[in-house]
Amino acid sequence: MNDWNLTEQLAPKAVPYWRMYELVTNIISALVLGVLFFLDWRFDWYTWIGWVLIGIAVLFLLSVIWSIISPPLLYKSWRYDLDAEFLYLQFGIWERTEQVIPMSKIQAVAMKQGPIMRKYGLASLSVDTMGSNHAIPALPKNIAEQLRERIAQFAKIKEVEQ
Amino acid sequence: MIAKRRHHPASILFKYGLLVRNLFFLFLILFIFNRTDPSTIITYGRYAFLAYLAYSIVSTLLTWLTSSYALDAERFHLYNGIFNKTERTIPFAKVQNINRHTSFFHKVLGLTSIRFETATAGEEASVKFDVLTKKGAARIEEIVEAKRKPEVREETEIGAKEDDAPSAEIPLAKPKAPARTIHFRPTTRELVKASFTSFSFLLLVPLLGSLYYNISDFINLEDRVDGLVGDVMSSGWIIAATVLVILLASLAFGIFQTFRKYGKYEIASDDKRIYIQKGILSETSFSIAKDRVQAIEVNQSFIKRLLGLAEVKLISAGSLSLGEDNLDISSLYPFLPKAKAYAIVSELLPSYTIQEEMERLPRRSLWLRMLKPSWLWIIVTALLVFFKPDFFRIEQTWWIASALLLVLIIMSRVLDFLHTRFCLNGQLIQFKTGGFTTSLFVTKREKVIEVKVTQNGLQRLFGLRSLETVTRAKPVHHSYLTDAPETLASDFHQWYRERTNEIELEPVE
Repeated sequence: MNDWNLTEQLAPKAVPYWRMYELVTNIISALVLGVLFFLDWRFDWYTWIGWVLIGIAVLFLLSVIWSIISPPLLYKSWRYDLDAEFLYLQFGIWERTEQVIPMSKIQAVAMKQGPIMRKYGLASLSVDTMGSNHAIPALPKNIAEQLRERIAQFAKIKEVEQ
Repeated sequence: MIAKRRHHPASILFKYGLLVRNLFFLFLILFIFNRTDPSTIITYGRYAFLAYLAYSIVSTLLTWLTSSYALDAERFHLYNGIFNKTERTIPFAKVQNINRHTSFFHKVLGLTSIRFETATAGEEASVKFDVLTKKGAARIEEIVEAKRKPEVREETEIGAKEDDAPSAEIPLAKPKAPARTIHFRPTTRELVKASFTSFSFLLLVPLLGSLYYNISDFINLEDRVDGLVGDVMSSGWIIAATVLVILLASLAFGIFQTFRKYGKYEIASDDKRIYIQKGILSETSFSIAKDRVQAIEVNQSFIKRLLGLAEVKLISAGSLSLGEDNLDISSLYPFLPKAKAYAIVSELLPSYTIQEEMERLPRRSLWLRMLKPSWLWIIVTALLVFFKPDFFRIEQTWWIASALLLVLIIMSRVLDFLHTRFCLNGQLIQFKTGGFTTSLFVTKREKVIEVKVTQNGLQRLFGLRSLETVTRAKPVHHSYLTDAPETLASDFHQWYRERTNEIELEPVE
């Protein structure tokens, strides 16, 4: 597609970060599920609850497999770019999404950093517009800071409200 | 300018009226129907009722005493709060549209209510004056609009840019009096026609039904009605006569309803604003500055398409409802012949020249539409197979229903494919979509606040994409064109990026 060669990528460390993040959430979910199975066995819950739990466990296993496969694919799918007028985003493994957001419609920018992100020196950038909010996940922290400043600078100019 | 002052004293009267209306049934239950009931619930209920009544009477009075408003050259100042004082300031520039409503009671007292709607989210989005004199309302409206005058330039400037004429200095202060041009008033014939297409005559049946149930709660009607039904059913002539009477009554009711709602419809405009008025018993009017119209939508239901009628809606970033009831006032008369509707749109908004010749989707997007699984059908069929209901003692109901639903879904998909059209028309974008009811969405590039193009796995195989635009409205309006050719997607990106040519930027302090 012409005019749509976005170059900027996420931090390469995004892949190990996502893996770690998924690991932590998977362990927590596994613990919760384990406790439920234990309670089911210990207190003889209704049979259908057992079946529901087995269903959930199957879905959980599938999601664990997906969480192992997906991070490199997601990393590969993400691109962004910006100029003085627009912010461009492109992402999605199954469904490729391309977004164009005018700078003058951006209402707020924020940098966010969770505990696991901090460990990898990453940060995510979220952008709020009048209509919705968007996020660029897992950028190197210094780049996220720079981007935040640039977007804030560009977004300072507003269109006459109509 | 209006110096700080209290709201019209009649607003207390209105609040009390509302109180009486809301408490009336409770009063009947507590004091009339159960007047001999000595149970504790009723006794305490009565105390609570009286306490609430006293509280409401006092607090309404205090609220009126402590709230006031003022207008300076640029903004509203609203003061309220009995204990915690709040002061709100709303610049006139934030007003998106003005809704005025004169209920029957307002009319009797020669008063009206007015709301100035902003695009802000939440409770405080509008500046409302629930009761004020007509003169007062007109005065406030005048002050608010006076401020917005300089911005009207925008429309003409863009027009000038399109023609590549460097003389953007089109004389904006036309000394023309703010005379309103009336674009449309329905004739009696059109109203009668409308009453047939609106199907409001069908409303009589549920209305009578609910009336029947409400009354039968108090009086035992059922025995009498059963007797009546038995009598009627005994003779063919009486059945025919009854059906005829019911039909005629519904027809009369439908015509009455339509006249009540659309009787005094009027679409008017001056060089800055569009005014829509309607209603006979209670009047409602809506006004919006032309440059604040975010988009327009032309809707056609199945019946309307057969009769060549269309409904045109103006989309505003401000709220269009008045209190709880949505009055649908942003729509130009809903039963306009399509050609007339388009003509009125181009009269009202010269920059919106809808191009009727639009492109269609390529054949392959029909195949894609057919391939897409229908979750609705899958879920409904699964439920039918599981429960196997026998409707009217027909055992095969489950597969008949499932097949019928499938046919309907396929029909709607084919129709949607046939109806879908698109067009990038200068700075306008036009998307037409819909199966049984169609909707044409038209907006200007500068009003689009975000665009999105997506492509899923299947679409990649077929070389198709889906486009989405986001425009301001309440709530934010998303408009989609699914399975468009890839070339359109790149044109769409390019088209959107050229919006920089049109937008007017605020000076940075």
